[in-house]
Amino acid sequence: MTEPCLIRALGVTKRYGNARALDRLSLQVPEGSVFGLLGPNGAGKTTFLRLVMGFLFPEEGTLDRCGLPPCQVGYVPDRAFYPSRLRVREYLCLVGRLAGLGGGALQRRVQDLLTALDLEGAARTRLSGCSRGMLQRVGLAQALLGDPRMLLLDEPMLGLDPSGQKLMRARIEALHLSGKTIVLSSHNLSDVARVCTHVAMLRHGRLARSGRLDALLPLRPEVSIQTGPMPAGLPSAIRSLDPGILVSENRITLAGEVAERKTDVLRLLLGAGVDIRELIEARATLEEVYLEATQG
Amino acid sequence: MSRIWVLTGYLVRALFGSLAGVAPLAAAVTFGLIAFEYGMDQAQLFTVGGLGIGVIGFLATLLLAGKADRAASYLLVGRLRSRTELLAAIGAGGWCITWALALGIVSVNLLAGRLTLSWPSLLWLVPTWSVLWLLTSALAVALSGLVSRGASNLLGYLLLVVILVANDRQTELLERGASWAVRIAERVTWPVGALLAEASAGVHGRTYLLALALVLFLAAALFLLAAYLFRDKDVLWSE
Repeated sequence: MTEPCLIRALGVTKRYGNARALDRLSLQVPEGSVFGLLGPNGAGKTTFLRLVMGFLFPEEGTLDRCGLPPCQVGYVPDRAFYPSRLRVREYLCLVGRLAGLGGGALQRRVQDLLTALDLEGAARTRLSGCSRGMLQRVGLAQALLGDPRMLLLDEPMLGLDPSGQKLMRARIEALHLSGKTIVLSSHNLSDVARVCTHVAMLRHGRLARSGRLDALLPLRPEVSIQTGPMPAGLPSAIRSLDPGILVSENRITLAGEVAERKTDVLRLLLGAGVDIRELIEARATLEEVYLEATQG
Repeated sequence: MSRIWVLTGYLVRALFGSLAGVAPLAAAVTFGLIAFEYGMDQAQLFTVGGLGIGVIGFLATLLLAGKADRAASYLLVGRLRSRTELLAAIGAGGWCITWALALGIVSVNLLAGRLTLSWPSLLWLVPTWSVLWLLTSALAVALSGLVSRGASNLLGYLLLVVILVANDRQTELLERGASWAVRIAERVTWPVGALLAEASAGVHGRTYLLALALVLFLAAALFLLAAYLFRDKDVLWSE
């Protein structure tokens, strides 16, 4: 059974002059996911988000927003595209009115967002006087006006200091838990690995890899078993299975071809009544998969 | 509809909050001083005021379109159900600015005793100028860089200049045997010419109403053309 999607791109091609920004790109963004768009500069991440927003149109292929109206999509651009003369509260009220809010409901929603995003103190600050971190929060606040079902975040961590990045990650996770679908582009693989449920890797406008994050990271032939105290003689019995098995006080490591003896080791441990506290099967890192996909 | 007025307010404020906002004000002051220098009666006001202030309104609408044609509009356009709402906001803004400038010019010259008006025929100013300035606003939207595809706006300006020159140089064109050009120019400019001629003469019969309807139709056609051009245009704005 296929997952319900909010974005469905099929063979999308977008050119800027002779340069192909997207080349027959097909991908689906499942509803409720945090979908990370990865790729080197010029891979087509921002172009894809602008196509979804309807700022650009594909030359070939179709891009379906699955019936989501504009008010149900919030967008945070990668650069500070804000009218510099307006103050933070004025700007949020302007976007809120365009999102269909008005009167007391608009004022309440703006106030809630100012509070939630720690912008209360900056409500009367002109946008031209806001720091990068403040503008990122203003961007998120305006995107959340109208309570959209989907958020498009273009490089949301760009220019933020470590604490700002941590806060942004926490907000993304909170929004995900509240049921929103989030599409974000990023160069920061550790952020993506922490917050995304799905990932698409682009290379020269083409889809290099796509899927659930856990499915994208292949298992490595390396197993680590954390145990409780082992009876005397059991470590040597385990080593006798294969001399390559490493047994320390409470940890057994099977690396390389030896990892295939995992079942035998577990059988011995369970047979001896040993408490198995943790079994870790090592996976490739996102960085390894990314580099392979985008440079291979 | 409310979104259009919200955007109109934002764009007008953005225009007059910037240096560009001085241009329509300066043009209005200049026009008010020069055109009314020797006084003006109501008939002249209908035609000279209508066309002169209409040109200033055209300029103001172009400036509003320029304000919309920048990266700060990304997040606003993204909220609209249709891009046509942005064009409607620009057109409405230009029309409102034109009326505001007209009221200012007329009031100042009236107080200065340089304008003679008669009541209640003066009320015919409202439909005459409203429709005329809908045309100038729609023309400006259609000729703006915001909606232009390729060099469509340059082609539009060229066509406009050719029509205006042909209309102005009718005798020369007839002498050179280009009567077809004169006929085309006459037909294109007839609605505006007839509207102002009838209004300034104080005649509001069938010709006036036909001209009024045709000017309105032209304005609608130009606006629809602009909407068609802008509907699926890639917008690549930068600051």
